[in-house]
Amino acid sequence: MARSSTLFVSPTESPIGKRLTALMSIGFLALVAAGIAAAWMTQRNQGHARWVEHTYRVENAIIDLRRLIEEGETTRRGYLLAPDVPLLRTIHLNAARALPGQLAALSALVADNALQRRNVAALNRQLAPIAQARARSIALIDAGQVEQARALFHDETASRPMVGVRRTMERMVAIERTLLDQRDRDLKKAVNAFYIMLALTGVLLLVVAAVSLAAVLTYTRDLTRSRDTLNDLNANLEAIVADRTADLTRANEEIQRFAYIVSHDLRSPLVNVMGFTAELEASTQSLTALIDRAEAEAPQLVGEEARLAVREDLPEAISFIRTSTQKMDRLINAILMLSRQGRRVLSPEPIDMVALFENIRDAMTHRLTEADTELVIEQPMPDLVSDRFSIDQILSNLVDNAVKYLKPGVPGRIVVRGRRLGARAIIEVADNGRGIDPRDHARVFDLFRRSGTQDRPGEGIGLATVRALVFRLGGHIEVSSTLGEGATFRLTLPLSLEPQDRSE
Amino acid sequence: MNAPNPQSVNIVMIEDDEGHARLIEKNIRRAGILNEIRHFTDGTTALDYLFNAEDGPQRNGPALVLLDLNLPDMSGTDILSRIKGSDGPVRRTPVVVLTTTDDKVEIQRCYDLGANVYITKPVNYESFAQAIRQLGLFLSVIQVPNIDDGR
Repeated sequence: MARSSTLFVSPTESPIGKRLTALMSIGFLALVAAGIAAAWMTQRNQGHARWVEHTYRVENAIIDLRRLIEEGETTRRGYLLAPDVPLLRTIHLNAARALPGQLAALSALVADNALQRRNVAALNRQLAPIAQARARSIALIDAGQVEQARALFHDETASRPMVGVRRTMERMVAIERTLLDQRDRDLKKAVNAFYIMLALTGVLLLVVAAVSLAAVLTYTRDLTRSRDTLNDLNANLEAIVADRTADLTRANEEIQRFAYIVSHDLRSPLVNVMGFTAELEASTQSLTALIDRAEAEAPQLVGEEARLAVREDLPEAISFIRTSTQKMDRLINAILMLSRQGRRVLSPEPIDMVALFENIRDAMTHRLTEADTELVIEQPMPDLVSDRFSIDQILSNLVDNAVKYLKPGVPGRIVVRGRRLGARAIIEVADNGRGIDPRDHARVFDLFRRSGTQDRPGEGIGLATVRALVFRLGGHIEVSSTLGEGATFRLTLPLSLEPQDRSE
Repeated sequence: MNAPNPQSVNIVMIEDDEGHARLIEKNIRRAGILNEIRHFTDGTTALDYLFNAEDGPQRNGPALVLLDLNLPDMSGTDILSRIKGSDGPVRRTPVVVLTTTDDKVEIQRCYDLGANVYITKPVNYESFAQAIRQLGLFLSVIQVPNIDDGR
């Protein structure tokens, strides 16, 4: 039985359920982690893209600046060589005017970097004299002093101010490049970390899936196996139950037949005993007449012994034989009755239990009144589908017993009640009578056995009949009682009796 | 002694219990019936007498059968069905079933097989004696069919 109880544990309560839940949780956690990692990665990517863009903007700004500076220089030189081309002057002036703006833009772009800020400052410092020199050159040319301007340019070129500017700008580009490289490397690391994490998550998920699958497969296999086992057991059980039932039915029939034959065969010699006892009695009468006549006519012929034998011993013996045979006849009839009830075919029909008890009460009204007893029928009562005759016999017997064995001097109160318990009905007949000694609780159901003071007529047949009937109806009966405090007979019967196809 | 007289009815008692047989006989005699009683304690010899004996009911004079159902070698109902199922004159022989069984089904069966009377042997001797004596009265008024009519 312990085996079957483990078979019916629901999956959520079993270790497999816990394991699966844990695995699923791990899987979900891994997925969540992967999601978070992906979000982080996207953010990182966006940040990086912004930084790359920034770098290129800085570079562009530097290039633009450089172009402006170079343009300024080139146009200045061009103007020096060809002062009659005013376009060169215009271009130069435009470049010179755009230069501070461009420088400011660059300064704004690199405001977050101290190193670059210093470079921008250096650039400013370096550009200031160059701008002054250029302005002077243009002013000299404009004034027509081209030679002077050229001399100035010559002196200026010797100090090579542009070299410093170019270097500074190259440094700035280099710094940006280094930064970009750094960021690229960071991004690559992050991407690698992301991939590693993704791979780990993937592996984890695979493992979880594999383990879950294995667990589910194992569980399913176990389930299938237990189901098969259960089916086998069920099939076997049914076969066993069928076998047992057949055995029981056979045994029961055997007993019934046995009881029937025995009681009949017992009756046969009893007929002889009774018959010849009657013959004996008849003979005794003629003997008594003879003794009477002898006493009257020839008293000396009649001995004391003969007189006693005829007048006392013989009638006494005959009367004992009679009583015993009569009792034996009653006992045999009881067995015969039990056996006949066992052979009766049960015909199940719906029974209104309350109505049935009311009928019993009506039938016993006289006895109940005589015994100053009330029969209380507690409602509601479960209705049965059973053999009406048997149920009536059982309950009548129980109520009859309750009335029969009341406590002297106490008004009787018999309570009958019923309730449902699954597919069975429990019917109780409780009284406040003299009760039954617990030692006799099993005995009272035996044939010809009685309990307590033997002051009521009876052969000890009623409860034996009741028990036999209850067994036949597929139920059982028990008694709970304390001596002097009433008894409760508890009947457990199937709510619905299976119809029998067995014939007499 | 009664055999030569074709009108005298033989009582054929088939009863395995000597005591019962004696009691039945006594009570029949007490009722004043003096017809010859042939007693058989088993079915085989009884059937042999009924069907084959020179003075048996098949070949000779009218008879009445007192039949117990519990016999050692066969059931009384077998004998009953043999008697009532035969096509000879023995078929008309009245059969009184006299047994301990008061089972309704058994009684029914005996009547179905053609038993004329069914008497239960009660343990109460007075009623038993009474029943037998009444049977005696019954025997004294019974009109047993003439075998010659069957021939």
